[in-house]
Amino acid sequence: MISFSPFMFSFLQAIILASAIMAILMVGTGQIRSNIMFYSLQTLCLALSACFCAAIEHELKHYIVALAIFFVKTIGLSTFLFWITKRIGAAKDLGLYLPLPIAMHLSVVLLVFAQILSNQLPHLNHLQPLAIGGTAGISLILTGILFMLTRRLAISQVLGFLTMENGIFLFALTQSSGMPLFIEMGIFLDVFVAVMISGLIIFKIKHSFEHIDVTLLTSLRD
Amino acid sequence: MTQEVLILSSFLIPLLGAIVCVFFQSSRYSGKIAAGSCLLTFVFLSISLFPFLSDFKNVILLPLGLRCEKLQALFLLLTSLVVTLALMQSDIYFEKELKQENTNQKHIAWFYFFSLLFLLSMMFVFVCDNLGALWISIEATSLLSAGLVYFSRSKHAVEATWKYLIICSVGIAFALLGTIFIFSSSQYGAIEGGSLYASQLKAVSENLQPLLLKLGFIFCLVGYGTKAGVFPLHSWLPDAHSEAPAPASAMLSASLLNCALYAIYRILDLTTNSACGKSCHEVCLWAGVITVIAAALFLVKQHGLKRLWAYSSIENVGLMMVAIGFGSAPIFFLQALNHSIVKVSLFCTAGNIIQLFGTKEISHINGLLRRSPLDAVLLLAGAMAVTGTPPFGTFISEWMLLSLSFERRYILVAVLIFIALTIAFVAVSYHVGRTLVGGKIELLSDTVSIKNSVIPSLLILASVALCFLIRPDILGVLK
Repeated sequence: MISFSPFMFSFLQAIILASAIMAILMVGTGQIRSNIMFYSLQTLCLALSACFCAAIEHELKHYIVALAIFFVKTIGLSTFLFWITKRIGAAKDLGLYLPLPIAMHLSVVLLVFAQILSNQLPHLNHLQPLAIGGTAGISLILTGILFMLTRRLAISQVLGFLTMENGIFLFALTQSSGMPLFIEMGIFLDVFVAVMISGLIIFKIKHSFEHIDVTLLTSLRD
Repeated sequence: MTQEVLILSSFLIPLLGAIVCVFFQSSRYSGKIAAGSCLLTFVFLSISLFPFLSDFKNVILLPLGLRCEKLQALFLLLTSLVVTLALMQSDIYFEKELKQENTNQKHIAWFYFFSLLFLLSMMFVFVCDNLGALWISIEATSLLSAGLVYFSRSKHAVEATWKYLIICSVGIAFALLGTIFIFSSSQYGAIEGGSLYASQLKAVSENLQPLLLKLGFIFCLVGYGTKAGVFPLHSWLPDAHSEAPAPASAMLSASLLNCALYAIYRILDLTTNSACGKSCHEVCLWAGVITVIAAALFLVKQHGLKRLWAYSSIENVGLMMVAIGFGSAPIFFLQALNHSIVKVSLFCTAGNIIQLFGTKEISHINGLLRRSPLDAVLLLAGAMAVTGTPPFGTFISEWMLLSLSFERRYILVAVLIFIALTIAFVAVSYHVGRTLVGGKIELLSDTVSIKNSVIPSLLILASVALCFLIRPDILGVLK
């Protein structure tokens, strides 16, 4: 069923891994603009891998998903996040608990850990060459969590969440033969709306508290 | 045929109502429109679903792969009833808020808009057979109810909304991963190409890949558990419940938590016949027990009236999780029903009291018995009911849960729950007792209107009625 040259397969694997590496680089920098840029590149890699998967599996739905990722995430959400950053005037996230270089190295360790985890999982035969997608997916999820934990600003929390969500998408794409199209589109819609609403709330946080440092939001407690 | 049409049209009513509310956002009638459309939804659902409940037929198949079984039908009715009552109360509640100039008509119209769409998304949770669609609906409930939590636009409300949104979204993301694991587990020979339809998965549950199924369940438990407020993922719940306006807290506590728990039940149900079934049930059971104990301990040290009821909701979520862990749909529904009815009443009463005293702090609320005897009685009765004291419905369901755990030889579970319930009872009685008496004798400048207490009192009476009406054989409907 698969008529695809080995070269193309290695190319696909490289793209899949590139998305995980973009996330690791994202952890390494504190500039919000570069963070968003890396997020954008990461989704571009996802869109490309969805295209390749479409070609391999002769599935039309993956092409549609790839287009949706490109327009909604790579262009839409990134532009939106850039716009918020500019409006709020947030330039740099100083980080929390861990210095950024250490956090980046930790996320490399997480990539290795993801490889070990993903080897424990069973793989479908016809998706065997895409097993690397499991590693990259789990690594993106873990990196996203790490990103959320080690950052102060509200906008970084959103970026971390989006990275996690990318990991879940990549995992679904490579470990199962992709979710049905209408579910995929519903998920897109939900994530899109979630980011829009968080954007609005970030404006309100800025407006009421005059900062967007979520570690300082501690007035509600028992 | 008419049944299907009625059910589908009951899904259209909230949507139309929401649009109308936004179109006439400066009018005084948005509250009436919203409550009216909810009531109509409830009536449509009752007409179509009550005959079905006593029917031999087990399932109603709806277009687009939606389906409704008996448990789902009961939850649909409960959810629409809860939202109807909460919105009826909110019309009265906001009247007073407007008088105190705490809000304006436009914000209220948007509140109703979000409430109606929130109802719609919750109704979808119960008719989705597709696990992916279930996930989408649950995420939609978070996004739409964020609009309710944000209502007062104060600093605290912004903070609560942010925490709610981010914690629930991240939690729910895990549930998506879990859903993918379950989808993937069906591709190992069980179903060609895999399936996300719960009814199909249930039919082949012995052939699902056990490791992936188990991982799927664990991730879904974490994800939907965050939404349900399972300890230690509950941190958003007290904040959101205490910052939302009282009717919205009632909706969150009495219907949203049920949706999340239902999702957990749905996923756990898939594992029943599989190799990992027993361990998954145990995990769910113990997560419930831990939640009950933790919530009971948190209840001891509460300072806000609505935070108190929020923690009591967590306690009840724990009890429902135990019921789910035992695989007992009837007790799960019964506990949900009793809890929802009492919680709507309690949050509405709490709203009245907070409006009367102008504070949420329990230490500042004194002499309620003298200042507003009816609210005092309702608060006391609600507190008794929510802690499972007879003669209220919660007593029956909690009793059944305890006897079930004895029957299944989970003595430790029963003992732990019993201790936790006792702690919760003492804590709640102490806090409520403090508000009833004491305080200076003040001039009663602010009188309480009797209409504020109509819905809470009716619900307390309903809870008493449930205590006497429910017989174990009624539960046969669900078996």
